Amino acid sequence: MNRRTLLKSSTAAALLAMTLAGPVTSAFAADDPVKVGILIPQSGPGGLFGPSSKNSAELAVEEINAGGGILGRMVEPFYADVGGPPSDAIQAALKLWKGEKVDAFIGMHDSAVRGALDNLFKGQVPYIYTPVYEGGECADGVYVLGETPAQQLEPVIPWMAENKGASKWYLIGNDYNWPRDTNAAAKTYIEASGGTVVGEEYLPFTADNFDSNLAKIKDSGADAVLVTLVGGASVGFNRAFASFGLSDDVTRLGTLIEENTLAGIGAENSKNLFSSAGYFANIDTEPAKKFAEAYKAKFGDDAPVLNSLGESVYDGLLLLKAIADKAGSLDVAAMEKAAEGVSYSGPRGEATLEQRHTTKDIYLAEANGADFTVVETFSNVGAGDNCQ
Amino acid sequence: MELVALQGLNFVYISLTLALVALGLAVVFGLLGVMNMAHGEFVMLGAYSVLVVQNAGLPLLAALPLALAVCAAVGWLLEYFVIRHLYRRPFDTLLATWGLAILMREIVEAVFGRDYKSVNQSLPGTVEVFGAVYPAYRVVLMALMVAFFAGLFLWYRRSNTGARIKAMVSNPALATAVGVNTAVLARGAFIFGVCMAGLAGVALAPLVRVEPYMGIDYLLSSFFILVVGGLGSLVGLLVGSTVIGGSDAIVSAITSKTGGYMTVLVISILFLWLRPNGIVARD
Amino acid sequence: MASSRAINVLFLIGLLLVPFMWDSFVAYQLGLFLLYGMVGQGIGLCWGRAGFLPLGQALFFGVGAYVFGFALKLEAGPLILVAGLLAAILLPALIAFVVGFLVFIRQIGSGPYFSLITLALTMLGFQLANSMDWLTGGFNGMTGIPALPGTDTYETLYYVIWAALVLVSGVLAYVGTAPFGQLLGATAQNEERLQYFGVNTALLKAIAFAISAAVAGLAGALFAPHQGIVTPQSVGFLLSAEIVVWTAVGGRASLMGPVLGAILIGFMASELRDSFQYWEVLIALVFVVVVIRFPGGLWSLVEGLARRLPSIGAKGARKRDLETDKSRADGSVRLAFEDVELVLGPVRILDKLSFRIDTPGVHSIIGPNGAGKTSAFNVLTGRLKPTAGRIEYNGATVGGLSRHRIARKGIARKLQIPSVFPDLSVDRNLDIALWAGNLTLSQMFTLRPFRWSTPLLNEMYDIFPFLEDGRQPAGSLSLGQRQMLDFAMTCLTQSPLLLLDEPCAGLSSSETGEMIDAIERIVATTGSTAIIIEHDMQVVERLSNHVLVLNQGALLANGAMEEIRSNPAVQAVYGGGSK
Repeated sequence: MNRRTLLKSSTAAALLAMTLAGPVTSAFAADDPVKVGILIPQSGPGGLFGPSSKNSAELAVEEINAGGGILGRMVEPFYADVGGPPSDAIQAALKLWKGEKVDAFIGMHDSAVRGALDNLFKGQVPYIYTPVYEGGECADGVYVLGETPAQQLEPVIPWMAENKGASKWYLIGNDYNWPRDTNAAAKTYIEASGGTVVGEEYLPFTADNFDSNLAKIKDSGADAVLVTLVGGASVGFNRAFASFGLSDDVTRLGTLIEENTLAGIGAENSKNLFSSAGYFANIDTEPAKKFAEAYKAKFGDDAPVLNSLGESVYDGLLLLKAIADKAGSLDVAAMEKAAEGVSYSGPRGEATLEQRHTTKDIYLAEANGADFTVVETFSNVGAGDNCQ
Repeated sequence: MELVALQGLNFVYISLTLALVALGLAVVFGLLGVMNMAHGEFVMLGAYSVLVVQNAGLPLLAALPLALAVCAAVGWLLEYFVIRHLYRRPFDTLLATWGLAILMREIVEAVFGRDYKSVNQSLPGTVEVFGAVYPAYRVVLMALMVAFFAGLFLWYRRSNTGARIKAMVSNPALATAVGVNTAVLARGAFIFGVCMAGLAGVALAPLVRVEPYMGIDYLLSSFFILVVGGLGSLVGLLVGSTVIGGSDAIVSAITSKTGGYMTVLVISILFLWLRPNGIVARD
Repeated sequence: MASSRAINVLFLIGLLLVPFMWDSFVAYQLGLFLLYGMVGQGIGLCWGRAGFLPLGQALFFGVGAYVFGFALKLEAGPLILVAGLLAAILLPALIAFVVGFLVFIRQIGSGPYFSLITLALTMLGFQLANSMDWLTGGFNGMTGIPALPGTDTYETLYYVIWAALVLVSGVLAYVGTAPFGQLLGATAQNEERLQYFGVNTALLKAIAFAISAAVAGLAGALFAPHQGIVTPQSVGFLLSAEIVVWTAVGGRASLMGPVLGAILIGFMASELRDSFQYWEVLIALVFVVVVIRFPGGLWSLVEGLARRLPSIGAKGARKRDLETDKSRADGSVRLAFEDVELVLGPVRILDKLSFRIDTPGVHSIIGPNGAGKTSAFNVLTGRLKPTAGRIEYNGATVGGLSRHRIARKGIARKLQIPSVFPDLSVDRNLDIALWAGNLTLSQMFTLRPFRWSTPLLNEMYDIFPFLEDGRQPAGSLSLGQRQMLDFAMTCLTQSPLLLLDEPCAGLSSSETGEMIDAIERIVATTGSTAIIIEHDMQVVERLSNHVLVLNQGALLANGAMEEIRSNPAVQAVYGGGSK
């Protein structure tokens, strides 16, 4: 019996992996590029945001390199799909970290994956987390760009009370951490603005019929609804909401209703729909317009629509550059010392890093058909206290 | 009173739509024993047909022939190349159709993109029914569905096809012996089943989210309905839809949507365990 | 057999060498696939061997992961860890056993209903893990799980996982070889026949399901330190479905196929995911093709290669050196039907059927087609429940009991169509008959019962010499030989009461003669009582003096052959009785 051939065939899987994984390099030189791992969802429920995230990243890399790169070195992006469960994401990140030896990570994914990556990186590699999230991240080497509930709601709820007469709030979200934490924050702001919470409800991810919720909302006499449903559930809910004629009298506010979700909701169902975020595709400022034009020029008119999640990856690279340039290194220890107070400027406006989170402008937009129009800008809103 | 009327209408609406969505699966699973995991994807094809028609500027009704044509063609392909090789291997059909579902999703994604599509309401606005404000499209849809099920019921009772299908199901060998072409009949039943799924997709498109991954919702709820209602009878299908839709609606109204969902799961498990033939057993 | 075992061992050794041949990252990645592969091995036991498909294995995987993750997070010393590990294995096993037993006992069998129940359970599990965030951390997961003490997650943990894989493979291989595994295989082939041998197949399948859950729980327990986080996705429907897919692609019926499937698809997905946009299409296509073209999975191709290798240590003839005395102390039989009725839908099949049998020897039941002969056997052996009336056997009521319970009271049945276990060897078929009623649950997990023998077995070899070629599959025997094997198996149970439904059906005239001799000889040596259903009056005349005539579900006549012949009612039914 030929043991050698058998051995080879029995481990063909590993062989396959080896040949596909590419060479494992360890040589390092000063003019080597800065390798940045860009973790974005390209499959699964978040896969919707993959294309716009990737485009934003490519644009950022191109612009940073045109301006001299990070620490004088060119940026080389490595993309990985983190749209699956954390176990898949860990593999993808490890492959870039240990295999490609990337110097830093930008991540646009859910908090379960973030928790897994925290545990993987353990502060040994800089990691910038970019999407909207529930707050509370405080690990070494992690810098958060996304909006926290405090940022999205603290200034917005009083504004809604004052300008839209929102006083009786109904809170509805999917049954997981982000909506629960968002609503916990919302309650304090609602009370502070003199309003009351008339209902609070969480739906499983599988929910596709919202009739009972709409009946409850109607029955509760709410005049405002805070929507923390995500993706398809948000689309389905908002469509049903409008079809029952509720949108005529009840104002909706979402903290994760971006351009794609609005397109799914449809122009005829978007009456009295507001959204609060750090970025919208048509913010009326010079940097935002410049960014949108560059995006269009590079990717064409049919490019995936810009949105706060996709764009956050662009800002993530800007933030990485800002911290690294100030620290003079991509070493976590040096970056940790330099991070506090770092500021940069991008499509979202001026932002400053405080307690690992960015203090920045927050925009409140109203749906106008299938587009958003920014109706109010709140300047320099802090992310709240995230390190207890 | 108004709330009662609203809840009552919701109850009828959810029961009818669930039955409509599950009908195709009931035909394919009940008659052929094929657990078609790609069932929801045919609902998706129906919904995208409406989108195509809308983008072409045609009236909504044009989506019906388009959806039926697309579903029949795809259904024929699947039956011919995959399903017919697996009729006596129930677990393998389950796995193969699972793979086909992924394929169909990916193809639709490649053609139409991953993003959410909005299908316009062809009948926007609301009407008052028994004092409750209700979406006009839903009211019309409910009337159409009642008519549809009544017609289907009569046809199945009277037509020769119904008898032949029953014969094939109860004794395939005998049916072949007396001259029933089971291969053609099986293909016909499969194509009919997936066309019904496409029809449901057309009907629901203006109300729901439309995206490549929408199918999974319809697959799971359809399975639960078949489990409760039993296979092989239209009455069972309606009863199953009422039980599933009703218990979800009632528990959701009293407690929460999560409670309603878990109740549906528990009811399904109990039925599978204690009444595997459903409330209305196969005759 | 031997060469396939060698392949398995080489495969495992190959896996051990991976960290040396490549880097530790490949090994880390591989570790995850081995964990999934273990879950697949459990599915293989249920699906490939016992014939029922669990669709919710992630439930057990996830429970194991959460439980052991919780224990690791306590960081309270080795005792807690061991307790946690045990709980991570036993809790899933217990859940599976209870669910499996409750489901299987209802005779809804192995079909899709069981699969759908497990599917619904895993969906329920996902929702609970998601909602109970005070315990599980909710959707964001149970985070910050420390490494397994004494290991480095990215270096040495791989060897722990490998050892677990070896352990699981060893246990599953042993369980599959032991009587338990043989009975499980027999369950998939003909569950009802096995029940007539007194085997509680519901218990058997529930134990198999519990073993698969324990394996999944162990894999889940190692998943917790491997990942450092456990999220509801680990309990979810998608993971369950994926592992079933990997099992199918790798080979459901083999020990290592599921592991191979998990490794291949795992690496394929991980490599293609970032470089090829339509990787899911590719995997779906591979999968559909494998399901249609290679139902045995990829491992069957590996084994196809292995078959070309010289087989090492081919086994010699079977040794049956453990004499077991199965003869029952008191072989006497008292059977009574009292006004037994059986109504199915609009049809009255048995209509107040009453008779008694309390003498040894051969009794015959005759009657026209549809008289209720086989139905009388069916209500007696638990295949059907009598609608009314009483059936008493040796002083106990048996009507309405489950099949295996009735069989254990000492009633053996041979069905009209020969019902041997076609994929098992003749020896294994005989084993099952020898074990009937005698094999305890713990003996099912030892190898000694394969050596059992009885005096009656030697007599069978004498009567039917073809049985001595014990290694050929029973399915390859001729129809007549299968009838004889089936008859031999029925007798080898040494039940005081033997029910033989047309034992000579389909036999040639010389074979019929052999069979009649055999029946006479066995009944004489064992002193048992036999009831045969027979159409052939010559057979009836030769074998028995006591004849029962059934017509339209009731007893028409009862007595010696001569009385029956002269009975005018019987003559009317048989149109002159001139057969």
